[in-house]
Amino acid sequence: MRVESVLVQVLNGLSFGALLFLLASGFTLIFGLLRIVNLSHGALYLSGGYVALVTVTATGNYPLAVLAAGLVVGTLGLVVERALLRPVRGRELPEVLLTIGVAFVLADLCLALFGGEPKRVAPPALLSGSIEVAGLAYPRFRVFVVALAVVIGLGLALVHSRTRLGAIIRAGVDDRETAAVLGIDVDRVFAAMFVAGSVLAGLAGAIGASLLTILPGADTEILLSALVVVIIGGLGSIRGAAVGSVLVGLVDAFSKAWIPDLSYFTVFAPMALVLVFRPTGLFGRVE
Amino acid sequence: MSVWRAGGLAVLAAAGAAAPYVFPSYVIGLLTLVLIAAVFAASINLLAAGGLFSAGHAGISAAAGYGLAYATAHGQAWPQALVLALLVAGVVAGVYALTSMRTATIYFLMVTLALGMVVFGLAYRLNALTGGENGLRDVDRPAAVAEYWQFYYLCLVVLALALAALWVIGRSPFGLALRGIRDSESRMRSLGYNVAGFKFQAVVLSGLLAGVSGVLATYQAEFISPASASFGRSALGLVMVILGGAGTLLGPLAGAAVVALAQNELSVHMDRWQTALGLLFIAVVLFVPQGLTGLAGRGTALLRQARRTRRT
Repeated sequence: MRVESVLVQVLNGLSFGALLFLLASGFTLIFGLLRIVNLSHGALYLSGGYVALVTVTATGNYPLAVLAAGLVVGTLGLVVERALLRPVRGRELPEVLLTIGVAFVLADLCLALFGGEPKRVAPPALLSGSIEVAGLAYPRFRVFVVALAVVIGLGLALVHSRTRLGAIIRAGVDDRETAAVLGIDVDRVFAAMFVAGSVLAGLAGAIGASLLTILPGADTEILLSALVVVIIGGLGSIRGAAVGSVLVGLVDAFSKAWIPDLSYFTVFAPMALVLVFRPTGLFGRVE
Repeated sequence: MSVWRAGGLAVLAAAGAAAPYVFPSYVIGLLTLVLIAAVFAASINLLAAGGLFSAGHAGISAAAGYGLAYATAHGQAWPQALVLALLVAGVVAGVYALTSMRTATIYFLMVTLALGMVVFGLAYRLNALTGGENGLRDVDRPAAVAEYWQFYYLCLVVLALALAALWVIGRSPFGLALRGIRDSESRMRSLGYNVAGFKFQAVVLSGLLAGVSGVLATYQAEFISPASASFGRSALGLVMVILGGAGTLLGPLAGAAVVALAQNELSVHMDRWQTALGLLFIAVVLFVPQGLTGLAGRGTALLRQARRTRRT
């Protein structure tokens, strides 16, 4: 086994993990505050990818495409939250089931609009080509994705721990009723959080459409990885999402390279281990 | 069981038995699909009675189907194929049970969902065993149920037996413990019940029933592919259970009838039937949360009340 090929797999794992983090952080934030397992998160990701594709094809402007993906999917999230989820607020099961319905509809509409062929959004010239990493030529875009995930992750952590908004969110997570009594408009905070999570899913979709390809079925496949990430990391924990993403990304990269037939199984193994020894995940709160 | 209910069941059974004499083969084929879907929904419903909603049961039933198809393709007669199918289903259900038995509510749903996706992925990737995307073909039915109407009767009998077994289980100490776990897990635990152990048994039992539905489905299509393990299939089963009324005996049959017939009609008449299905899902959750049987129950309660007020 050559050192270079191991290094390449590590980088592949980190960049896929970075993409997973963008997706899983939104998923886990929504869960942490709203207690909703948003199973339409994968479909929102897919929609974001296609929005980016349309925008790039029309304007050729990559940053605009990423922005548009975030905006459109965020709006979609707002509609889903206000129109569908609010009427069943606080009832876990109907909430999950509604998001399954939304996932069905979105994925099918994407198939109707864009067909079954895999599509890819070309990254801009600035981010294509390769870069020297430890004496190794490596795609520049993958390095960019890692950097982006780190920036967004740090930003989320800072907002969460240092700002008034973060304090409101933490209060909502800890005790909704008391937060509401103290004059916090919990309903609005909930909606805002659902939108924020959706924006992250949309961004992830735009990035994923360049890092991987985008096609029908990509939504459930990436949702599986995100689920495993948050089950490992613990629902509601950003730190858990970060650790879980890196772990799942690395396991995925190495298993795809070494035992491709079992790559699905190897992603599942760490999840099973965590569930047996710590059912609430590595950083999940014990309730 | 009240006289009315027993009578209703008898009428239902008689109608089921008479159907092949009345309807053309196309309708009987459709009814067979409904019966198989009902067995599948009943397996999910067994867990739903304990407050556990599986979003990955298609993985178990597909595993059984693959076991059946693999054995048949390798020249085994149907008894051996059936044993292998149920063995595979049992093992997969055991894995489901071990990983999910310490979880509850949405965690249970997520874990089963992830497991279902793993089975789907394995069905795709393990080419040597599953035939990959092409699946396994030519799973001929045993000679005794080769004709469509014979197979229909087999499915009818299997569903009747499954419902009878579920009725007994629901009233057994095991079923009552399961309901106790649904209502308050912590209370059951402090009463000394081994909650994880009960969940393990429930998942394995439910998985075996899902395996039976997988065997029937594979014989019906004489074919199996990764699509039968897909999340969509699992979600459909959940819709049937919720639509019919979670935890009720006949709910799965009612839900399966509506969903399977709607799916059949919609997929013939429009390309976007998945969208329609998603909308149906949303509508059910928003407008019929107790399911059809719950709705019927509320209807009869209203009638009874109306009669009582008229009398006084």
